[in-house]
Amino acid sequence: MTRQSTLKIAVAAGVLVGLGVTASAHHSGAMFDPEKTITLKGVVKEFEYTNPHSWLWVTVTNDDKTMTDWGFEAEGPSTLFRAGIKKGDLKPGDKVTVTGRPMRDGRPAAAWVNVIKEDGRVLQPRAAPVTTTAPVTPAPTTPPGGI
Amino acid sequence: MSTGKNAACIGAALVILSVLLASGAPAQEYRNSTEHFEALKRAAQGSTKLTWDKLPDWTGVWTRAPGIGLKFDPAQPSLQQTTAQLAPEFARKHKEKLERVAKGIEWDPISNCIPPGYPRWLTEPFLREFALRPEQTLLINEMVNDIRRIYTDGRGHTPEDEAYPLWNGDSIGFWDGDSLVVHTTQLMGGQYQRSQPDYTDHVETVERWRKVNDNIIEAEVTIYDPPSLVKPWRVVQRYARVTTPGIRIRSWVCEENANNEVFQTKEGATEHVLPGPGAGPIMKNKTDK
Repeated sequence: MTRQSTLKIAVAAGVLVGLGVTASAHHSGAMFDPEKTITLKGVVKEFEYTNPHSWLWVTVTNDDKTMTDWGFEAEGPSTLFRAGIKKGDLKPGDKVTVTGRPMRDGRPAAAWVNVIKEDGRVLQPRAAPVTTTAPVTPAPTTPPGGI
Repeated sequence: MSTGKNAACIGAALVILSVLLASGAPAQEYRNSTEHFEALKRAAQGSTKLTWDKLPDWTGVWTRAPGIGLKFDPAQPSLQQTTAQLAPEFARKHKEKLERVAKGIEWDPISNCIPPGYPRWLTEPFLREFALRPEQTLLINEMVNDIRRIYTDGRGHTPEDEAYPLWNGDSIGFWDGDSLVVHTTQLMGGQYQRSQPDYTDHVETVERWRKVNDNIIEAEVTIYDPPSLVKPWRVVQRYARVTTPGIRIRSWVCEENANNEVFQTKEGATEHVLPGPGAGPIMKNKTDK
């Protein structure tokens, strides 16, 4: 991968508070490294608002002026919608800063943790997608006799 | 002991016996799921015949109670610690699975877009809806538009010579007051959830579903799978009412995007094909090959 210092890639060891691991409904998230985060600035190329996962493609300009398309995976449309992320929120040409958990094999993709738009709006796929009746009484540890 | 005291003791014993019969004896006393289900049906005196106006009100949108994650048994201390009493071979397999996951090596069978299947269905994410009718109940989960159909019209299971394994099995049930008792057989093998133990195609279950209060629907589940379980596994699953205004359950189709295509590596890990932006619908790509 091309060195991208001007893009302020930040790979941090350890799990950051508030950055959840992708709750993948379709496949294991083991191809992403939960111990690392990466933050990139770029321009939206395409927002695939699809099941079972959505993909946000961001074109990033590298130090040597070459460009790389980075993919950020998140949940499908129903989950994104419930987290306040609509299909039209990320249009081609939008400038964004994206944080994710990178792939272990070094390819330019990551699990989408959050996106910060130019106007400061933060898009988090797993930001309380639904509200439930709270508090939920924990299930009993021992079921009552004889179901 | 006086005659009066004897009568009181006998009376108390009968009360205790009647309570036990009404609720059914602990699951581990049954040899198999059929015996368990039939005992519950006898205790319910056959069943409660429900008409449209007498059906319980389970309307609304529900989701698995928050904070449980991928734990099959909400009561288990951690994702890695199962409450199932596994047969030695399955305990060893589970331990090996956890060791692989710790190294980032994991493959989930549903990665190829096959359904999760039941009993794993109990733990899948997203939204749920329960559609009650006198003759059948539909237990619906949003993910992969996954529906379990519980016949309550008095029919038995699909006969042995017509049966074949099904993702969600063959379910019959009856109403015991406001509780729905369900017997499920003819299932496929699978895993209870990621990082959870495996079950075989011998797995069968008995469930009792009921609305605990306006905000909780509960399923007490007893799982029978003699090859993998030393004794039946009893768990309680709870589903909380979703209060998000105007929320709708959406169609959830698994194969919509070529960038979601993954494969299993030789060492058993999950890897993306990842064609990149503009890949388009996955079926188009397959046709083009």
